[in-house]
Amino acid sequence: MNPYVPILIMMGVAAVMAIAGLATSAIIGPKTYNRAKLEAYECGIMPTPHALGKGRFNIKYYLVAMTFIVFDIEVVFLYPWAVAFSDLAVFGLVAMLGFIALITVPYIYEWRRGALDWD
Amino acid sequence: MSSLPWITILIAVPLVAALVLWLVPGLHRFARPVGLAVSLVTLGGAVAMATGFDPSRAGEQQLTQTVGWIPSIGASYAVGLNGLGLVMVLLALALVPIVLAADWHAVPDASEADRRATDRRRATFVALVLALASLMVAVFAARDVFLFYVVFEVMLIPVYFLVGMFGGANRRSAAVKFLVYSLAGGLIMLVGVVMLYLQGPGGPQGFLIDNLAGVVSDPTTERWLFVAFFVAFAVKAPMWPVHTWLPDTTAQATPGTSTLLVGVLDKVGTFGMLALCLPLFPGAARWAAPAIVVLALISIVYGALVAIGQQDMMRFIAFTSISHFGFIVLGIFVGSEVAMTGAMFYMLAHGLSIAGLFLLAGYLAERGGSRRIDAYGGWQRVTPVLAGLFLVSGMASVALPGLSGFIGEYLVLVGSFASSIPAAAVATLGVVLAALYFLLVYQRVFTGQPRAEIAQARADGALRDLGARERWSLVPVVVAMVVLGVLPGPVLDLLTPLAQVLALGGAQ
Amino acid sequence: MTTFQPPVIDWAALTPVLVIVGAGVLGVLVAAFAPAARRRSIQVVVALLAPLAALGAVAWRWSEVVGGGESTFVAGQLAEDGFGLAAQMILLVIALVGFAVLASRLPGGEDAFTPQGASAPGSAYEEAARKAGLEQTEVYPLALFSLAGMLVFTMANDLLVLFVALEVLSLPLYVLTALARRRRVLSQEAALKYFLLGAFSSAIFLFGVALLFGYSASLTYADIGTAATASVGMDGMAVVGLLMVLTGLLFKVGAVPFHAWVPDVYQGAPTPVTGFMAAATKTAAFAAIARLLYVAAPGFAWDVEPALWVVAIASMLVGTVLAIVQTDIKRTLAYSSVAHAGFALVAIVSLPEGGPDALLFYLLAYSFATVGAFAVVTLVRERDDAGNVTGEATHLSQWAGLGRRSPVLAAAMALFLLSFAGIPLTAGFLGKFTAFVAAADGGAWPLVAVAVLASIAAAFFYVRVIVLMFFTRPEESDEPQRQRAQAVAPGALTRVALVVCAAGTLVLGVWPTPVLDLLAQAARFVV
Repeated sequence: MNPYVPILIMMGVAAVMAIAGLATSAIIGPKTYNRAKLEAYECGIMPTPHALGKGRFNIKYYLVAMTFIVFDIEVVFLYPWAVAFSDLAVFGLVAMLGFIALITVPYIYEWRRGALDWD
Repeated sequence: MSSLPWITILIAVPLVAALVLWLVPGLHRFARPVGLAVSLVTLGGAVAMATGFDPSRAGEQQLTQTVGWIPSIGASYAVGLNGLGLVMVLLALALVPIVLAADWHAVPDASEADRRATDRRRATFVALVLALASLMVAVFAARDVFLFYVVFEVMLIPVYFLVGMFGGANRRSAAVKFLVYSLAGGLIMLVGVVMLYLQGPGGPQGFLIDNLAGVVSDPTTERWLFVAFFVAFAVKAPMWPVHTWLPDTTAQATPGTSTLLVGVLDKVGTFGMLALCLPLFPGAARWAAPAIVVLALISIVYGALVAIGQQDMMRFIAFTSISHFGFIVLGIFVGSEVAMTGAMFYMLAHGLSIAGLFLLAGYLAERGGSRRIDAYGGWQRVTPVLAGLFLVSGMASVALPGLSGFIGEYLVLVGSFASSIPAAAVATLGVVLAALYFLLVYQRVFTGQPRAEIAQARADGALRDLGARERWSLVPVVVAMVVLGVLPGPVLDLLTPLAQVLALGGAQ
Repeated sequence: MTTFQPPVIDWAALTPVLVIVGAGVLGVLVAAFAPAARRRSIQVVVALLAPLAALGAVAWRWSEVVGGGESTFVAGQLAEDGFGLAAQMILLVIALVGFAVLASRLPGGEDAFTPQGASAPGSAYEEAARKAGLEQTEVYPLALFSLAGMLVFTMANDLLVLFVALEVLSLPLYVLTALARRRRVLSQEAALKYFLLGAFSSAIFLFGVALLFGYSASLTYADIGTAATASVGMDGMAVVGLLMVLTGLLFKVGAVPFHAWVPDVYQGAPTPVTGFMAAATKTAAFAAIARLLYVAAPGFAWDVEPALWVVAIASMLVGTVLAIVQTDIKRTLAYSSVAHAGFALVAIVSLPEGGPDALLFYLLAYSFATVGAFAVVTLVRERDDAGNVTGEATHLSQWAGLGRRSPVLAAAMALFLLSFAGIPLTAGFLGKFTAFVAAADGGAWPLVAVAVLASIAAAFFYVRVIVLMFFTRPEESDEPQRQRAQAVAPGALTRVALVVCAAGTLVLGVWPTPVLDLLAQAARFVV
């Protein structure tokens, strides 16, 4: 068989799945329209109509997001490390300490430059 | 004495002088006298070198020097001169002081406030001419294809700046046209250089002409390579149909720049045909010779015919040159040893006559304020010395017996008759046309009655004939024309051995 | 279940990278702790000393490694060999001159970066930050992190490591692009464009990695190369994967058809960043491409070559043609860099033996000219009615007559342009020459022919800038109402950088033997 055929099949399947998903919901989904459906999703609270300050989002959104990423990435690695702790032994410990030390640096930077002072 | 690396000295002295002149602001005020002195010293060095040259072995490279330069790509700094190279180096270095003297006022005097800027521009001009002198020596002395190519290309840069910075109103487009044309030719040659190297033995001296001669065995490859090199040289020499940059450039450049450009630099094209195309690709040269002869004949007739119709003196001289270059190329490729000797002699003679014509036309334009031929008339009475010198130069250019141009043209024609009568017949037509175009221009510019206001200016003393500087810049040129016309023997002795080695067909 | 074997990490081989990463971290801590008044000077010292120290480390590793000590480590994921070290050397030299330009300030004391990246362009905050004399000293650690990614790029012998390095080198550049002091909206737009297209190309890259993993069940080049020769079937998948990976890398060098970001980003980014980015990113990405092609892809040469031919030819032609019609000096240089990506590709497309060292030499020559040319651009400024120096004069017509007012600076620019054009006795000529010889040796004749044609056309627009600078009086310029450009006196750092770039361009053109010999030792890959 031509080696390209599996790729073609895969592309076909991907296309069919995407189109089918859209088509089925368009055909069999109930169609009710209301205001809430058109609103931006903001965790269920009433959305603010515009971002504050000439259409720009408050910088604090980004600070929260970045701080979240600092810890999120840390946790993503800490969990598997915990699972495989005994296998990885000293090598794992040293590597994780290095990783945590490095990821602390931006946190320190954030803190020193006043990003954590909310007001 | 012959143990001194003369060629390297002749390359280094003007180059170092150019750099110093350009970089040291304190010297800018004295740039012109210093430049003239350096160029005269260099010329003296070249003459001294020539005494160490053995004319009985003129067909071989002498005064050679070979040093590794970029061994990993096979390039060496290899220089040496044979008879032709020696003649061309002497011509080039002799023209440099003449040009510096003639273009003494290429940068017009300025008011006191702009004095420093003017001095800087003058220094730049002199530095560029000196750099060009150094490169001209290098290109005629190169025995390494890579070195030749490098110098061949780098030479464009000073000329480009000379045209672009010091030329007339349309200098910018002229400079760009010149550079792009030449670069295009050069880059096509680059492909040939690369391909030739890969065909050759390689190694740290893989670019030496001696190591590359005759290495290409496959005729098809040889032909392609020949074409790649020939195109570059044809653009340089300007042959029809790649000649269009030349009239535009000379029309804008200063007379001195044009002299160096047409008198020496364009000879690099024909020199390259002799020094590279023939020894490296003898088979392909024979194969291409008929076509090239046809192109050369077209150049001869076309250049002459178009010259007749020119309104601008500089363009006129440029088109006569295209015709003359046709003769040179014809002599090289027509397949006769005599014609080839003639072609080489022609290169020298044309360098002299073109210097005379361009410089005198420049002097005339300074006085008359225009380069248009129909702006003049009757100037024989106004500036008799100028007119006389112009007549001599022009007659040398169109090969009046007794002047330098005659020997070359005569030998080319004699040689051509021996190999191809039709070619010789067409070329003879070119000779007739040459007399026609020159005399027509002379008549329109110099004979008749001068316009009243010109005659008045002459009577008032506002318009003078050639001054001392202008006369002295031309005396050596005219003397050389006469001497070579009467006594061509020593120079021919230098050139004949090489022609015997290189000549196509006939000699073999 | 197999027990875990810790990978062998050759820390010595990583010294250059560690030095740069360490300096970057140090830079962040300086930004956190140093008092605002001293921050900048400390940062500059760190940013200039770090590449110097790393250069020393590379020299040490070179003496240890080249000629027999080449090895791969961390389970074959990283390679230490002559090629990688030579590329690192080039990168560090670029970094030294590039950072010097980056750190320069105008006589008035302003640097190339916005005082506060987070403030909206034209807002009161920005004005306040400018008045307060704030400086965004984070640019130095960002540049160092980017450099660290580039250094790893040259050693990466594994697709995943390559991907991580790709991100490490790209992300700081996105941020740096957004920080221009003037024309901030343009700068931010450029950064966003660069980021979005960069993310897009990264995704393609990752997809390719996945396909190659599916093909060879491994991510290291050596295994992929072995699988290719063992012919396990599914070659189509491997070829598609390889092309996708190459797409990601060719995006970074700005080769056509992945060049859409180049002119906008080069124009919008702060000019010193453009100079560094144009030279260093290209060097790093080409080093990665060469290693990928020579180590992992010889088995697919027949399949990949045609695509690379198309890319090389398209880059040369499109870059050249579009550069001719530009009216902005930064955009002209941007399109010229696209063309140069094509020229550099010529050296390695047919995988000739002399390809890697020709490529490295080409990149070195190109980098000197690029950093130098953009450094000159930083100095040519407009002036307002009161005579104060304002933004850069990037419109070509503003450069008219520069050669009369600042002959030395214009001469330096002319030298860089001639090097771009490949005029002999400049580094650019030998770069082109060695590249053409390598390609012709590998049989890629048509490619050399196209390259020559493109060179002829390219010469035209380099020459045009020289015409403007030297042969045009300002009053002859097409748009006389535009303010004329005035060159400001370069600060000490820029001066040094310009001298180094000009000297490098000349020396490599006239006496390249030591460098060529050095690179000839280097041009072998450890498998």
